[in-house]
Amino acid sequence: MVIKMNLKKYLTLTRAGIIESIQFRASLFVLVLGNLLYLTVVYFLWKAIYASAGTDVVNGMTFSDTLIYLVLATALFNFMEMYTVWDMGRNIQSGKIVLDLLKPMRYRSYLFWSFSGSFVVNFFAVFLPTFLVVYIVTGGAIPIGISLFYFVIAVVMAVIINYSIDFIVGTICLYTESIWGINIMKQVIVLLLSGATIPLAFFPEPFKTVAGYLPFQSIYNTPLMILLGGGTGTEEVFEALGIQLFWCMALLACSSLFWKLSLRRITVNGG
Amino acid sequence: MEDSVRRTSNCSQQWLLRREVLSLTRKFVPVAQIRRLRKGMVISMKKRNLGFYLRIYRKILIQDLKSKMSYRADFIISTVGMIFTNIAGFVSFWILFQNFPSINGWGYYEMLYLYGFSLVSLTPVQCLFDNNWSLRQYVYSGDFIKYCFRPINLFFYFQSEVFDIKGLGQLMFGVGTLVYAWGKIGLACTPMMIIKTVVFLITASLVMIAVQNAAAATCFWINNSFYVLDLSMRCKDFARYPITIFSPLFKFIFTFIIPVAFIAYYPSLVILRPGEAPLLSWLSPLFGCLFFWLSYKLWMFGAMKYSGTGS
Repeated sequence: MVIKMNLKKYLTLTRAGIIESIQFRASLFVLVLGNLLYLTVVYFLWKAIYASAGTDVVNGMTFSDTLIYLVLATALFNFMEMYTVWDMGRNIQSGKIVLDLLKPMRYRSYLFWSFSGSFVVNFFAVFLPTFLVVYIVTGGAIPIGISLFYFVIAVVMAVIINYSIDFIVGTICLYTESIWGINIMKQVIVLLLSGATIPLAFFPEPFKTVAGYLPFQSIYNTPLMILLGGGTGTEEVFEALGIQLFWCMALLACSSLFWKLSLRRITVNGG
Repeated sequence: MEDSVRRTSNCSQQWLLRREVLSLTRKFVPVAQIRRLRKGMVISMKKRNLGFYLRIYRKILIQDLKSKMSYRADFIISTVGMIFTNIAGFVSFWILFQNFPSINGWGYYEMLYLYGFSLVSLTPVQCLFDNNWSLRQYVYSGDFIKYCFRPINLFFYFQSEVFDIKGLGQLMFGVGTLVYAWGKIGLACTPMMIIKTVVFLITASLVMIAVQNAAAATCFWINNSFYVLDLSMRCKDFARYPITIFSPLFKFIFTFIIPVAFIAYYPSLVILRPGEAPLLSWLSPLFGCLFFWLSYKLWMFGAMKYSGTGS
């Protein structure tokens, strides 16, 4: 009964989010268009790069591997980016956060579930079309099979990791009252070290190892590598998922603890 | 309630229009009407030359810097963030060239030159036109109306309100990269070359400003123009690559529709490979001015159409 009540409460937020996203149809259109433009540039750029390289396989990745990797990384980014830090920062500055704290629901869940609506919309508007287009363009180079199932699990964990990092960074805004700087730093670090701009396989040696020990690579690199790997190396897949699970738990705990500690010293200017 | 607001905003528009008409056909407007108009705005039209605008700009700039300095932590963190962005951009560039010796016949240092060129030419848009990012919030909330009531150029007043110092860090980074690549390529360092570089850098920045203005102006027509602006900002990353990698269709798009090729590629060809530079490269100062003028007209057209929100 209680679980049912809880679920209902969260799903209402999801529905509100879907309705809100659909309201801004023009921006959705621009998002899709911009995405296509970006993908075109990525396609031509890497085609030129591979043409100059002279070989078909660089660092164990073929042109179509790299293309699938980068295109889906962009699609995942559009789908996962929730602008949590912006929202938290703005609510902290304006004082609106007080109203959200009074809601009969933990702030972290409230924020997450109010974004979940745009997840759903972005999945159908951005991720799925991109996936299909890249599948057709590369002539079915994405292995469809059990790896797709692992990929979905990895994406779910990636979403949680990404959200936890965002939430930790957002909590820092309680202390600094700076939004832009903190957010841009977070974004730059995450995009570079997660392999979203350049696949981690291309990183020169010391960087690759260091990036491997950080939580960021679990966000984009792990799901995409699992997808590209196909059914081979089940042990490797499980190892990657295990590392993801570890970061998932660790960051969830961190963000929760940090938020609880920080909440005590919150000062709100009006609201 | 809504009616009265409509009326107010209409008034402001009429006022603006009237002002435009006034400045054009001042001689033919009856004296009585001019007096009636001038009662509301005690300014003399004659004083509005470049010096007048520079004086105003200096005053607004000082106020803006004062207000920025009162949030010192934010200022420092933002500056660090900007430096981070530049370093990360450079690192990904470097990683790319660790794996591939050249792209489409462009070597490491030539690409580095393009990269530095685009960084420098992006500085003016970052420093001087940053308020474009807030435009949609002003329009959405209705606060934009306050800009309509000032007896100076609307576009000038709006853009002058914010000066973004963070851009200066990027400028230094860009100049450093440019000079380093310049030395490594072994380009001559004659006064002519330096003048050429400066002229073409200014052109390139005009194009970038134009792209951003046009993107920001879309908020007068569509509600949530953040994505348009975001897209235009992402386009600047494409500027770093030689346009020859694209297919003819996209070459056309990136030259005339979203003119990112003018941000670094066309102008720097004149300096890097003068022998290969097409006519478009030499004409790029002209295109820079044209694109800027078009975007200014679009921005003003949107602003004139603005009808307020009612709060």
